[in-house]
Amino acid sequence: MDLIEIITTKPVLIGIHLGFAILAIDAFLWLLGEMSHSPWQTRRLRLAALIGVVGYAVSWLAGGYYYVKFYGSLVKPIIKAGSAPWVHNIIMETKEHIFLFIIPLAVSAALITWLREEDWQALNIRRSSLILVSLVAGLGLLIGLMGFFISAAARWGGGA
Amino acid sequence: MNKPKLIYASALSAAVTALFVTVLTIVAELNPALKDWLKNLSGHHWTSKSWLSLGLYVVSFALCYAIKHNVDARKVGMSLNLAIWSAVLGIIAILLFFTAHNFGWF
Repeated sequence: MDLIEIITTKPVLIGIHLGFAILAIDAFLWLLGEMSHSPWQTRRLRLAALIGVVGYAVSWLAGGYYYVKFYGSLVKPIIKAGSAPWVHNIIMETKEHIFLFIIPLAVSAALITWLREEDWQALNIRRSSLILVSLVAGLGLLIGLMGFFISAAARWGGGA
Repeated sequence: MNKPKLIYASALSAAVTALFVTVLTIVAELNPALKDWLKNLSGHHWTSKSWLSLGLYVVSFALCYAIKHNVDARKVGMSLNLAIWSAVLGIIAILLFFTAHNFGWF
């Protein structure tokens, strides 16, 4: 079994998807803390933003591959035949589409960290910057919560 | 590189992308021909939506950066607010749409 085969197995893909999403959420929460305190520690701000963007990108790739390759044929039929088919119809359908909002928002938030603090203050975008960073972290948390519902419906939706 | 203009271009493109994903998702659910076209484009409708949204973001980013010459503080703030509101309203619209679809409200 080569490395690609190992990475593309179901539990490893889910682990990468979830693990990197948690890393990205943590990085954006870290960025929120760094951004709200003066003086800015530029290196830490940019590191947090970079980890966040890369984390979400890797999570998107791993989750997307799992969704396209395995979810439709293995997980969706179990949920649809179980006691909570609405979990697929509402939660999964919403999750898979709102995930597509994250990367552009995360890159936009990351670009703010490339400003100098005095330029950031001069632009008068403190409030909107903090809301944007909170939204990027919050969207990740919301998607994680949706993932819990989907996982629970697949495991226990049959009423066993 | 003009950093405020980069933020402006990215935030505006993020807003356009959120709007595009929201409209495409809802219209494709209501129009099987469009959903089939998305499936045929890459093998899966979601993969096509992913590529199209990423492509739109990149192209829109480059165009906004190239075309817009004067970006002041007001425009940067407005673009960030637009990105935030587009995402929030997009999430609500998609969630409400699939909820209504599930319960057969239309």
